[in-house]
Amino acid sequence: MYKSNQLVKIFHGPQHPGITGNMSVELDLDAETIVNATTHVGYLHRGFEKLVERRTIPQAFTIVCRICVPAPAPNEANFARGIENLAGIEIPEKASWIRTMVLEMQRITAQFLWMAGQGGSLGLYVNPQWAVADRDFMLDLFEELTGGRVYHMYIYPGGVRRDLPDGFLDKLSALLDYYETRLPEYDRVFFNNAVFKKRAIGAGIVDPSTALKYGITGPVLRAAGYQKDVRKYAPYEKYSELEFDIPTATESDVYARAMVRREELVQSFRILRQIIQRMPKTGDYQVKLKNHHQFKIPTGETWVRTESARGEFAYYMASDGSEYLRRMQVKGPSMVHAMSLLETVLKGAQLADVAMIMNSLGTCPPEIER
Amino acid sequence: MNWKPDIKGLIEPFTALKYLFKRPATITYPDVKRETPAGYRGFHVNDQVKCIGCGICEDICMNVAIDMVTPEEIKNPKNTSGLIPRVDYGRCCWCSLCTDVCPTKSLKLTPEYVLVTEDPNDFLYTVPEPKGDIQ
Repeated sequence: MYKSNQLVKIFHGPQHPGITGNMSVELDLDAETIVNATTHVGYLHRGFEKLVERRTIPQAFTIVCRICVPAPAPNEANFARGIENLAGIEIPEKASWIRTMVLEMQRITAQFLWMAGQGGSLGLYVNPQWAVADRDFMLDLFEELTGGRVYHMYIYPGGVRRDLPDGFLDKLSALLDYYETRLPEYDRVFFNNAVFKKRAIGAGIVDPSTALKYGITGPVLRAAGYQKDVRKYAPYEKYSELEFDIPTATESDVYARAMVRREELVQSFRILRQIIQRMPKTGDYQVKLKNHHQFKIPTGETWVRTESARGEFAYYMASDGSEYLRRMQVKGPSMVHAMSLLETVLKGAQLADVAMIMNSLGTCPPEIER
Repeated sequence: MNWKPDIKGLIEPFTALKYLFKRPATITYPDVKRETPAGYRGFHVNDQVKCIGCGICEDICMNVAIDMVTPEEIKNPKNTSGLIPRVDYGRCCWCSLCTDVCPTKSLKLTPEYVLVTEDPNDFLYTVPEPKGDIQ
């Protein structure tokens, strides 16, 4: 490989089609090889954590979904569960089932969005077209259930905001049938594609021995051989009653992570099939909260975790007896994946692989700059 | 590196070409419009016969998108404040908290969501009366 011994500095992002959001990576290049990579964020800072402190609980709940565009539901679920822990609210059985269903539907949409980005970063443009279209079918269902396509603002402290519309579960079941017929087509076009394999196998390797030290979560950790998933080791909502496997791989490269995500898609279909079977036909879907000025939370603190498609979302929440949260801290997977891990993994990689590796690690700037 | 050609992996992606002979998944908007579900969170409507002008919608709106204004005519004698809500769609995030807290359920969201205007002041939207039943 050609080495010039003269470093060239370029910025990959924030205006770059291959970047996974409003962030940039400063690259020191020796010809095409990356010698040093530095992540720059700050283009998207909206101060979510501080905004939450200044709003009452119902008002704050509409902000948290904006912390992650591909996966707003895990944030809503975290916030709702945190408030319920602090206020001692028990949610109805049906609400818990609906939440689990929404979280899994959200995982599917996030996996499709990842698939679109991963295909786009390699120039395999059939894949983004298909994945975005197939994700839209799930967004149609979200629209019907919640009234919103991307930001659902649906999982609410005390339950969920609406009951299931008539015939919703039948539509969901039909969509899962469709997805299962599409998956072999994705295999032919993307997962078994020789171009993808050539580019992805051996690229962006995360050292498994340092994975836990960095605090890596989600498919990146599972592709490094660790069978860790919050839904299994700290189950929430109805996950303890559902049967599903945690797919893992050992190669820890871009291709291994892709195959782990593909298998997670299959597991999400499996979980949703079980939920459709077991969803209560009747029952309350929410506990009514007090007026937002009178809904005061006792002093306390809590720590809640939810597994999103990209990794673990954890919220620390502290209350001081008022109608406001004293502190809320968000720990999303991208804080590690896009900062410390990305900088390490990019060293020695090729310039053309930056977008592919970033996408594979599941980076998402809003949760870094929360 | 393994240079053995992956014949299957090279040929199989071309199976996507069969979609050239299928109908597109997209629709030709605006000639064809998709049906919006009944519960979609779009523009507001306010039944002024029911609205009591309490201002709770204004109070809960964290984006300060709602302010209470004087209407041309008070249709509800119980509207003691003499005010009705006006929504700034430059600020609204369609969270629907205002409709959740509305004590008379006069304020609702409709499946309508298209607003095209050259005047930025048109985003200040005095909430109209509903047409027909809104879920």
